[in-house]
Amino acid sequence: MPRYTVTVDDREYDITLDYFSDRLDAVVNGEKRRVVVHKLQDTRSLILIDNRALEVDVRTNGVETGSGERIVFMRGREIPVTVEDYSLARMRKTAGMSLQAKAEKAFTAPMPGLVVEVRVEPGQTVRKGDPLVVIEAMKMENVLKAKSAETIKAVPVTGGQSVEKGDTLVEFE
Amino acid sequence: MSKQIKKILIANRGEIAVRVIRACDDLGLTSVAVFSDCDRAAYHVRLAHEAVYVGPSPSSESYLVHDNIIKAAKETGADAVHPGYGFLAENAEFAQRCADEGIIFIGPRPKTIRALGDKLEAREMALKAGLPVVPGTDTPTDDVATAKKFASEIGYPVLVKAAAGGGGKGMRVVESEDAFEESLATASREAQSAFGDGRVFLEKYLVQPRHIEIQILCDEQGNCIYLGERECSIQRRHQKVIEESPSPVVTEALRRQMGEAAIGIARESGYVGAGTVEFLVDQDLSFYFLEVNTRLQVEHPVTEMVTGIDLVKEQIAVAEGRPLRLTQDDVHMNGHAIECRIYAEDPEAGFMPSTGQLKNYRIPAGPGVRVDSGVVIFSEVPIYYDPMIDKLIVWGQDRSEALARARRALEEYRLSGVKSTISFHRTVLQNERFIRGDISTRFLEEEYPDNNYGSYDDQLMESAAIAAAVEKLLTERKISLVNSGPSSSRSGWVGYYRGKGLRRFGGSR
Repeated sequence: MPRYTVTVDDREYDITLDYFSDRLDAVVNGEKRRVVVHKLQDTRSLILIDNRALEVDVRTNGVETGSGERIVFMRGREIPVTVEDYSLARMRKTAGMSLQAKAEKAFTAPMPGLVVEVRVEPGQTVRKGDPLVVIEAMKMENVLKAKSAETIKAVPVTGGQSVEKGDTLVEFE
Repeated sequence: MSKQIKKILIANRGEIAVRVIRACDDLGLTSVAVFSDCDRAAYHVRLAHEAVYVGPSPSSESYLVHDNIIKAAKETGADAVHPGYGFLAENAEFAQRCADEGIIFIGPRPKTIRALGDKLEAREMALKAGLPVVPGTDTPTDDVATAKKFASEIGYPVLVKAAAGGGGKGMRVVESEDAFEESLATASREAQSAFGDGRVFLEKYLVQPRHIEIQILCDEQGNCIYLGERECSIQRRHQKVIEESPSPVVTEALRRQMGEAAIGIARESGYVGAGTVEFLVDQDLSFYFLEVNTRLQVEHPVTEMVTGIDLVKEQIAVAEGRPLRLTQDDVHMNGHAIECRIYAEDPEAGFMPSTGQLKNYRIPAGPGVRVDSGVVIFSEVPIYYDPMIDKLIVWGQDRSEALARARRALEEYRLSGVKSTISFHRTVLQNERFIRGDISTRFLEEEYPDNNYGSYDDQLMESAAIAAAVEKLLTERKISLVNSGPSSSRSGWVGYYRGKGLRRFGGSR
């Protein structure tokens, strides 16, 4: 039976799914949940979890699907989650890799813009929240900050350069 | 001088263009939209009677080009131009150009726009009209030494403001002397790039002020009324995100005082049309003049909801040279209205703009709910403009009913494809301090210093996890659930694996 490890924020859910003609029986961290899914369109569905109705849209938001990163839009919120096969997640954890380490080898531009200033250089270590690069977009200066503690490997951009969404701004060790 | 307007060109885009088009329709007037390359199929273009292309996507090559807008107005025979907010709304030169070309500019006279747009001149007018002002520099400067000396005189924190700025751009708060030079440089650079003028003003920064503004409406005959206040203290990067009317702290007496002060500066500047006089209100409820916005504000709907007055219609009537239909005694505030600006931004990443296509978009409805939107499903949120998607405005008999309706409406949104500030609003509307009305312009930085607006409850997190796992299962294994037929106790995997096994041995598909 398919078994998944789903990470939401820093919480982990071990989910097993069994399917029947009219429902899915889920076991979530040992607790049973009855799930009924009505596909609406594309990535949107109406799901009932133990009769609780939720209109959800599960999207990849441009990230490659292989990474397991999804955004769940529901109840007026966008919730970033990571879905992995249970066995793969276990292997990753045995290897001592955090999800972050796996995901964040580089810092990419979240939007197109103009690099105003580069605040780091190769070899430097940064803490979570330290400024990396300042980008001007929509006439505002946005200070892009480190999401975790890292060591800078390379900075392929310089001030005055324009970048597209997804361009690598800073590479980490 | 009175002239009937029959056709209005709206020199704007997005929700405000839609708002003005609706007013035109209500009045039986013809509307003309303008559009840039990336706005060819935009919602405002779809709603207008006529539409004219005005240039490439960057606003400096389209919506801001005076010649192109004037040409479009002439080509379509528009009698008047409504500038909306932003873009050319507070551009005296453009207003003058319209007058020279015989086109009515729906807004104040060019000289009023010019005078009030100059922070120094506006301050002088305010003083002349007897309005209290916050201590600050009288002249703009780009000299660091002079500025620093003045800053230590009035004491930190100090606000650095671009001389030509507005809308929060080129504004920096400096907490202490050490950070002064860097902040001055950043503000000056932003001002230079946004407005072509790097000079700045310094001003004493009130520690926990409220931002409260008065809506005014004046005609050419010299009549002037105020339409109550709007509390706009919830701001990020000095830009308003939640506004309400009335303010939780403004009493009838204070409203009258502030309203009369607002009319004072309106008269001093020869104001005509709709405008907003902004004040900072200190904790002891003393108020200080901030500036006059010589245009329709983004948050004008909250005033419309509590007064029942259509501000755009009144703007048009005044622009035709008609006297106001209302006197001060006709203005009554009824109930409470709240506006939440829904931006395509990621609140958790410091309100970073998030561009892309709206893959799903369904707006709330029901009692007391109004949504002023500039988009429809599958619209693109382009990188070139302000990333506001729509404005949710709710009305209730009192503040608590309005809050409840706002929470309900936010939950009704179905929006995906870009990040939005919907969840941010939900979090703030549940904040105890916000519910008590205990707010200031520093509310967000005090309550959410790390931009952590997430706070999902356990059930929501678990549901998201289940939804994501189910999606992965259904897409990867290409299972289609039928959701019909009798309930079965037999696991679908039995058939699934049997089918798979058969295929492996070359069996039937």
